[in-house]
Amino acid sequence: MVTTTTSKTHSRPPFWRDLRVLRVVGQFVAIILVGLVLWWLFTNLVDNLNRAGIRTDFGFLTQPTQFTVPYFNTFNARNPVWQMVLVGVKNTFLAGSVGIIIASVLGLVVGILRLSNNWLAARLATVFVEFFRNIPPLVVIVFFGSAVFTFGPLPILSEALELRLPGSSDTFLLLSNDRWGIPGFTSRGNVPAYLGILVVGLVISVLLWIWRTRVNLSTGEPHHRVLWSLGALLAFAGLGYLVLGGPFGVEWPSLSENRRLIVSGFAMNWGFMALTGALGLYTASHIAEIVRGSIQAVPKGQTEASSALALSAFQRYRFVVLPQALRIAVPPVINQYLNLVKNTSLGLAVAYAELTALTQTSIANGRPAVQSIVVMMAIYLAFSLTISLALNVVNRRLQLVTR
Amino acid sequence: MTSESTIFADATQAKGETIIECIDVDKFFGDFQALKDINLKVGRQEVIVVIGPSGSGKSTLIRCINRLEKHDRGTIIVDGIELSDDVRNIQEIRRETGMVFQQFNLFPHLTVIDNVTLAPRQVRRLPKKQADELAMEMLERVKIPEQAHKFPGQLSGGQQQRVAIARSLAMRPKVMLFDEPTSALDPEMIKEVLDVMVELATGGMTMIVVTHEMGFARAVADRVLFMADGEVVEVGTPLHFFENPQEDRTKLFLSQIL
Amino acid sequence: MTATAERAPAPPKLSPLGWLRKRLFQNVGSAVLSVTLIVILLYVVYRSLVFVVINGQWEAISRNLTLFMVGTFPRDQVWRLAAQALMLGLAFGIGVGTASGTARDKAKQAGLAYEPPLLAGTLKRFWSLIAFVLVLLTLAGTAGPWLVVGGAVLVGYIGWHSWRLPPSMRTLGWLLTALLFLAGFQVVSGTEGLAWLPVALVLAAASRLLVPVERLETPLRQLVSLGAPLVAAGVVYGIYQVIAAPGVGWDDWSGMILTLWWSAIVIVLAFPTGLMLALARRSTLPALRYLATTYIELIRGVPLITLLFMGQFMLGFMLPAGTVFSSITRSIAAGTLFTAAYVAEIVRGGLQSLPPGQMEAGQALGMGIPAIMRRIVLPQALRAVIPAMVGQFISLFKDSSLLFIIGATEFLGVRDLVHAQADFRVSAHAETLVFVAVGYWAIAFSMSRESQRLERRLGVGET
Repeated sequence: MVTTTTSKTHSRPPFWRDLRVLRVVGQFVAIILVGLVLWWLFTNLVDNLNRAGIRTDFGFLTQPTQFTVPYFNTFNARNPVWQMVLVGVKNTFLAGSVGIIIASVLGLVVGILRLSNNWLAARLATVFVEFFRNIPPLVVIVFFGSAVFTFGPLPILSEALELRLPGSSDTFLLLSNDRWGIPGFTSRGNVPAYLGILVVGLVISVLLWIWRTRVNLSTGEPHHRVLWSLGALLAFAGLGYLVLGGPFGVEWPSLSENRRLIVSGFAMNWGFMALTGALGLYTASHIAEIVRGSIQAVPKGQTEASSALALSAFQRYRFVVLPQALRIAVPPVINQYLNLVKNTSLGLAVAYAELTALTQTSIANGRPAVQSIVVMMAIYLAFSLTISLALNVVNRRLQLVTR
Repeated sequence: MTSESTIFADATQAKGETIIECIDVDKFFGDFQALKDINLKVGRQEVIVVIGPSGSGKSTLIRCINRLEKHDRGTIIVDGIELSDDVRNIQEIRRETGMVFQQFNLFPHLTVIDNVTLAPRQVRRLPKKQADELAMEMLERVKIPEQAHKFPGQLSGGQQQRVAIARSLAMRPKVMLFDEPTSALDPEMIKEVLDVMVELATGGMTMIVVTHEMGFARAVADRVLFMADGEVVEVGTPLHFFENPQEDRTKLFLSQIL
Repeated sequence: MTATAERAPAPPKLSPLGWLRKRLFQNVGSAVLSVTLIVILLYVVYRSLVFVVINGQWEAISRNLTLFMVGTFPRDQVWRLAAQALMLGLAFGIGVGTASGTARDKAKQAGLAYEPPLLAGTLKRFWSLIAFVLVLLTLAGTAGPWLVVGGAVLVGYIGWHSWRLPPSMRTLGWLLTALLFLAGFQVVSGTEGLAWLPVALVLAAASRLLVPVERLETPLRQLVSLGAPLVAAGVVYGIYQVIAAPGVGWDDWSGMILTLWWSAIVIVLAFPTGLMLALARRSTLPALRYLATTYIELIRGVPLITLLFMGQFMLGFMLPAGTVFSSITRSIAAGTLFTAAYVAEIVRGGLQSLPPGQMEAGQALGMGIPAIMRRIVLPQALRAVIPAMVGQFISLFKDSSLLFIIGATEFLGVRDLVHAQADFRVSAHAETLVFVAVGYWAIAFSMSRESQRLERRLGVGET
């Protein structure tokens, strides 16, 4: 016998209990609330600015800056503000890039040292990491700026320390407490030809790479492709240099007549050096931790299996441990890069003309604060989003394939 | 061919008063159709065992019954309440159904007895004293009253699953749904859990059990459903399945697990 | 835990020479490395010793110690700070005691043995902090600081004995901790203005937890569960209107106390905000998810200093004309907006690490979403992220040094005051920096050690 049941409700439930209605309504309410709050803040902003007689558009970008940027001879007070912004962006990018390079190299070395069998190396690496991780980056920056440069042991520029190579009369390093001079490159002609030779060398090195890889695949011989490719490239660079009669020259740093400027070579100002050095050290301590953690996170069974398969230590690292450690390490390391770029905003403390410092000076010189800050934040956002995007791309490529 | 193999051979016939009814139920995950035109009636105190290969939709089916998954087409009626977008209906149905998971899903931060009393106190608003008494009663039913003040992490897998059963029973459900309750257990612990389930069945609980344990099916199931590729392929008594399976897919599957 | 397995034979102990050979001079490369490092190390140690003991002009520190610790706090009100130290000591002691008691209760319930942490172990864990405090006290010279610190430690020890209270009084313990914490804050900042609000919130929440509503019949139960918090809040409001005692508002706080309190206030405010953001981020409603994600990604893309600038220059304009906010208040608002985004990511990680089966089990039992969140999901998720939250607090503590750039004088900024003095205009720059660095380091290092320890203990599991 079949019993049919009668259900309590055949029709749609009342709207205040209907899940679908609640979801849609809930979202509307949230959007409207947020929108209202933002609109209220924005109208207040515009009203108050108007009342204070401050402009509310972005026209200030085309006005003259009215101040000079230290250490930047080609920028004068008549250049429009947007050029100042570009200078800021360029300097932020410069400090960020150099900082990232220093931090990566140092972090990698220290991270690996922490796992070293040498007790002293491991302990010192630990001290380095635990010291820099626990102090504010600003303190490190101020320390570099103040104790190494401004109030530090180096002489002032007019009495700069000139380091010479033994037996030569060229200064290869100029040290003072606000500027350093290092050798720079000058072109002596034939540069396009040299670049052409380099390109040819690059193409040949790529072909060599492919050829050696194929040899390895078919015969099992070790390919040594790095040696071949790099060797070819260097050979071309070297030969090209000689053949063209030295298209590049080294320019030694030297002081000007009145000993107030560095006129040749490449000059770095103390703000730049303090900022990048400090951030390099600070971020390196974080990267070292990540490197150590990621190597340790590779399961021990992996090492055991590789040894059981008679792989050498180098092969074990190259084919088994490091690829896995890299996958683990990449996201947090890129996060640290992001932090470093954001920390360049502390360049204010050492008078380095990066974006934040310039924005603050500009505001102090009467430019509208709100718009300046908006422009500044937008630029930092652009930097961050670019780096995050790079992170996502790299991450996706490194993903282990799972079910 | 005995007449027994055709009794209850229809998934849409229930023994006694119908307590769960599925009518033309479809469920999609994106483009993939996990349930195809399911029609099922479960009667009071009936024990239904659902078997089938992985990916056949058996877990999806019971998860649709207590709305852990939402069915896309068709009607599901539990104890006279239609499963719809009505929040109140969903909550009522969930109060009347109990579910035991493959991964136990006990709350690790609460003691065993707190695990069991949480829902009665929060949902049925029982005072603590009564909830505790109820919990101890349930724990005795699953034969582990002495573990009441331990944490789940201290128990074996079989004990944890029995606590999970007690936890669901404490809500005094009308129907108990089991999603492969013994698949995550070591072999020596499967029996203790199955014994509890057998006792529940003989005690008159309505049960839908997704499992591979054919011994359990043989002992207490009223009907066995074989599902494959999202549809109910064959229905019958346990005896029917072991002696005289009809469909090719059924025969293939049974040859792999028996 | 009990050793029933056979112990493997211990490896042979190395002689000192053997140790040197194995650890430092294993092979040629290692030997070269060791020698280089030893040479560099000896040089650095020598120069540091010369700096610290011989050349260092530490009078810059010892004469300005009060400046470093409390900045330009009005000197006649320093008694408030002493009272604050005692109250915070007691709050901390009761808090630790209650946490210890809760752990003890759980262990007893589960039939396990509870091993209380030893005093020696605790001292060893916090060695950097203790050392720093001792150095400060020694440099101070006067008896006052010794008395205050000693007093705080004493009341903290007394408060720690709250673990002996019966389990039913644990909630009371937490309530006392929260109240004493607020009292410590308000003994300095005064009881005017909005001071009643946090206390009212705490007592309202406590009244909900402490009043036994379960025993009451339904209409009375709902009345009481709504009425009790309102009554508590009202009473607090009334009391505060009566004792409207002025204090030293946080605009006049500087030095180390500003650093510490700024970080504490920001993290307390950022936590609920971040929690709500995290829940919105994981919501199934696309609008909520989109709004939360946009906010989080925007904030995480900009440096903290830009937000501090925004607080300085823009916030005033965004509110109706006439509302005045002090610089510190604005920086707290900016800091909270900033930290909330990071807290949201941390909590989201915790929520994601929870097996989805937990939520499903709660749903299958017929529990509603608020109950599931309160009883099942959040207790587990939040416990899992405690180490990361401590890490965020450490980060915030370090970031407080940025206040220096917007003109507030926190611990690092005191240096400017010191070097404005005639005696120290061009000298002692390195010394003050080293002092500031050591100060930050001692505190951050201790916290980071604790966080690592918590991570290990919590990772072990429930027992």
